[in-house]
Amino acid sequence: MHPAFSTSDSVIATLAGLNYVADEELGTALFLMYRLQKPLLLEGPPGVGKTEAALALASLLGTKLIRLQCYEGLDVNAAVYEWNYQKQLLGIRLQEQSGLSVEEKEKHIFGNEYLLKRPLLQSIMEEVKAPVLLIDELDRSDEEFEAFLLELLSAFQISIPELGTVKATHKPYVILTSNRTRELSDALKRRCLYQWIGYPSLEKEMDIVKRHLPGIEESLLRQVTEHVQQFRTRKLSKVPGVSETIDWAESLLALGHREVNRKAFERTLGAVLKSADDIDMIRSEGPEAFHIAS
Amino acid sequence: MKQQAFSTTGLTESIVAFAGFSRSHGLNIGLQETQDALRAADTGLLVKDESFRFGLKSLFSHSPEEGLLFDQLFSLYWDTNPTDMADRKGKVTLQGTVVKKANASLIMLGQGRTEPGEEEEAKSVTGANETERLKHTDLSRVNVLDAEKLELIARKLFREMALRVRRRQKASRQKGKINLRKTIRRSMSYGGEPLDLLRMEPAPKKQRLIVLLDVSGSMDKYSFYLLRFVCAMKEYFRQMEAFVFSTSLVRISKALQQERLDLVLQRISTMSENWSGGTRIGASLKEFNALYGKRMLNGSPLLVIMSDGLDTGDSAVLRSEMAYLQRRVRKVVWLNPLKGMQGYAPTAKGMQAALPLVDEFRTAHNLQSILELENLLADA
Repeated sequence: MHPAFSTSDSVIATLAGLNYVADEELGTALFLMYRLQKPLLLEGPPGVGKTEAALALASLLGTKLIRLQCYEGLDVNAAVYEWNYQKQLLGIRLQEQSGLSVEEKEKHIFGNEYLLKRPLLQSIMEEVKAPVLLIDELDRSDEEFEAFLLELLSAFQISIPELGTVKATHKPYVILTSNRTRELSDALKRRCLYQWIGYPSLEKEMDIVKRHLPGIEESLLRQVTEHVQQFRTRKLSKVPGVSETIDWAESLLALGHREVNRKAFERTLGAVLKSADDIDMIRSEGPEAFHIAS
Repeated sequence: MKQQAFSTTGLTESIVAFAGFSRSHGLNIGLQETQDALRAADTGLLVKDESFRFGLKSLFSHSPEEGLLFDQLFSLYWDTNPTDMADRKGKVTLQGTVVKKANASLIMLGQGRTEPGEEEEAKSVTGANETERLKHTDLSRVNVLDAEKLELIARKLFREMALRVRRRQKASRQKGKINLRKTIRRSMSYGGEPLDLLRMEPAPKKQRLIVLLDVSGSMDKYSFYLLRFVCAMKEYFRQMEAFVFSTSLVRISKALQQERLDLVLQRISTMSENWSGGTRIGASLKEFNALYGKRMLNGSPLLVIMSDGLDTGDSAVLRSEMAYLQRRVRKVVWLNPLKGMQGYAPTAKGMQAALPLVDEFRTAHNLQSILELENLLADA
C-alpha cells in the first residue's frame, strides 16, 4: 500500500504537496477509491479541477496516467483495441508461400503483434504497476459505450473474440469525469463512488491560484478571485471555472497590471469570459460593480 | 419510521440499518453499497466522523441532489444529540407526497363533463365506418362511450406507427465505409485477396426528443390523448424527455417509464399544482431552460411543444425563451389543437409571440391529425 493512503488526511496533505488542493470530501473519496478499489466518478461544472485530480493522483502514486477522452460516436475500436489491418494484409501476403493451413495463418495474423491497444485495453494490460485510468467527459459519449464500460469497471476484464478474455494484472485506478450535460445511467453510477465538485470558496480558490502563480501579489490575487466569484453570481452563459481565474490572473501579470482597474478589465476580460454576450454584460457593469465592500 | 444509530448495538448493525434507512427514504442503495460501506469502515475511516460522513456520501449518493438528501439523512440517523434533532428534523422534507386534487386524472379524462349537445355533434361527423368517424372526431367532443373505443384504436394505431417509423429508418440505411476487420477475416479464404468488400452500416441515428405538454384547463380534453401519444413515442425514441406544464413545469420522463398510463396520470395529478389554472408558457419554458437546458439541449434534439398558446403570462418572456430554445434544437414543432377549428387564426397573445420561432406549426385536434405527425417523427 502506498504510504499516503493510510488515512484520508494524509491523502489531502500529500496532494497539497503536489499543488493540488483537495477538500476533505474529495480527499475521502480518493482515499476510498484507493482502498476499496472502486472507480470514482467526479461530476461538476467545467474548469473546477476534475481532470487535474486524476493527474495529481497519478503523480502521487508515481504511476502512468492513461487517458481516454470521450466524444460522441466513440466506439470500441477507438477505446479498446483495433487490429493493425495494413500489417495484417502484409502478413497474409508473406505467408502465401509458407504452406500453412488457413487456420494457422489466421491464428498468426490475429496474434498479439497485430493488436493495436487503445487506452482501455492498455490500462488493464499494464504489467509493472497499476496505472491511473482517466475516462474524461464521459457524458459526451453515447449510452452504448457507457454500457460497454460496465463490464470493464466491475470485472476489469475485456473480451476480444479472436484472443479470448484479457484480465487485468493490476487493477487500474479509474477516475471518470462528467460535466453533467446528460444524466449517466444508474447502472454505471452504482459501480462508482460519486463525488460532486462545485466551485470553490474564496479562500480555496485563492489558494489554488497562488499555487499555480506563486509570484502573484496578495492584493491582486484577492481582487481577481473576488471578481470571478462575483461573476459566478451573475447569469452568464459560460460560468468561469477555476482554470479561467488562473488564466485571468496570469494575463494580468503578463500585462503588468497590479490591480483590476478599468483598463485592465477592458484588456483582459476575454481571458475569463468566453462568450460575447457575457463580456458585454460584465463590461457594461464595469469593474466597480464587483468590488466587495470591505 | 424513526430509526437512529443509538438504537442498534454494534457498528456493523448500525451501518446496515443506516443503509436500510437511506433506502427507505429514496436513495438507490443495494447490497453492494452496504457491503462497500462496511469495507470502508474497516479501512480506518472511523477515526474522524467528518471523513466517515464523506466516505459514506460518496458511496450512497449519485448526484448532487441525492447528496443533499444524504446529508439530511446522515444527521438524522447518526446524531444522538436530542436537542438539535428537532431542529434538523424540521428541515427534512423527505418524500413530500402531499395529496393535491387526487381526482385530477378524472378531469383529464374528460369524464362527467360531456354535455348531451356535444354528443350529437360528434356523431354528425361523416366517415366510412366507425373507426374513421372516431378518427376524425375532435378530441374535446368525444363522449364517454366513444372514449373507450377511441382509446383502444388510438393505442393500436400509435403502436403501429411507432413500429413503422422504426422500420423505415432501417430500410433507408445506406452502405457505409469499408469494414476492414471483416474484410480481412473474409479474405483469408481467398488467400489474402480482399475479394469481398464488407462495409460498415452507419450506426443508427441517435434520435432525441423533448416533449412539453400543456395540461392547463383549456387543454385538458386534448391532453389525455396527447399524453397517450407521448407514451407511444417513448417506444420509438430511446431518449425522450417529457414534461407537463401549466403554471409550472413537472418532469414526467421517469413516470412514463412505468408504462401504465393511469399511474402516470395519478402521478402527474399529485405532482403538479394548480392543475386547471391558467397557463404561463413563458415562465414554464424559462424554468425548463434554467433547470434542464444545459443537460438536455445538447446534440440538437427535436422539440415538440403541445399547447393551445393561451398564455396568461408575459409574452416577452415567452418570446425570449423560445428564441433561446430555437437556437439550440434542430427543430421546434408546435402542436396546437385549436388549429383544427374552422376559421382559427393564431391571434392569441402567446401564440403570436411564439409563432415566428416555430419551425412546424401543426394541429392535433383529432386522432387523424396526430397520426399525420408520423412523417415528422420519421425525419427526426
